[in-house]
Amino acid sequence: MPGTSLIAGYLTVLSAQLPAHIVEELADGLEQTRQHYLEQGLDPDAAAGAALAEFGRPDVIVAAFTRVSPPRRAARRLLTAGPAVGACWGTALITSRAWTWPVPDAARLLFGAVLMTVIGLLAAAAFGSHYRSVGRAGAAACVGITVLDAAMLVIVIVALPAVSWPLILAMTASTARIACTARTLRAVLTG
Amino acid sequence: MRAEELKGHLDALLLASLEEGPRHGYAVIEALRQATGGRLDLPTGTIYPALRRLETAGLISGSWSIVAGRRRRDYRLTPAGTRALSGKRSDWRDFAAMISAALESRPCPEPA
Repeated sequence: MPGTSLIAGYLTVLSAQLPAHIVEELADGLEQTRQHYLEQGLDPDAAAGAALAEFGRPDVIVAAFTRVSPPRRAARRLLTAGPAVGACWGTALITSRAWTWPVPDAARLLFGAVLMTVIGLLAAAAFGSHYRSVGRAGAAACVGITVLDAAMLVIVIVALPAVSWPLILAMTASTARIACTARTLRAVLTG
Repeated sequence: MRAEELKGHLDALLLASLEEGPRHGYAVIEALRQATGGRLDLPTGTIYPALRRLETAGLISGSWSIVAGRRRRDYRLTPAGTRALSGKRSDWRDFAAMISAALESRPCPEPA
């Protein structure tokens, strides 16, 4: 059918970057817009062209969906809250002399490496422009930060004989972050 | 009217377009067009992300249906969306009254 190949090409570009459920919704809207122009008397090619022009450039649409995607929003929330949680843990680790804890050096190094990776993933999800890579980075960062928070809680509970007030505050912050991240994790994982 | 001039008001317009009942994306765009006498010049494709954003915020809810063999997503206002629309209307009236008063050199009415 004339005109539909134009729209099919446009949808193919979107499909390469957006999830199927979003493309299905856009395809329905595009078809209705095309029908609207056909009813106004445009020929099929002109109707398809007018519909595409009305929708706008694919990269603009992809960027708009990326800005509102759950992984992007979750990553920005975590980056915003990160310094406060980090400050709580920093204070707790210093006041409880964390360098004396019975934790192997390899575990400390591994924790640091994972933390740096998670921060990098959060930055990629918060500022990236590709919907799918933002989704992957955001999901991995959410899982990673939850694992790190859980690891800190386990270390404190298992390895320390006494828990100070700064540690209780830091543990509360991590628990709250785990709960918040878990609440959004489904939306983040499904994009 | 261009999209950048609408910045900050798009959410209220979208919520208002759903006040009469559920609508899919294209119907929302048509409703906005009719309500503004065709003066809105928004790239249609950007309305869909805005609807998704409102859905994520819990102000509208979406559901799928099949029409003419195509999947269609319909949106409806949630109770939170109805409250948000009421608040945005009130804010807009206050804002419009304040700007009108300033532009026309007359006393600004008290906020409602």
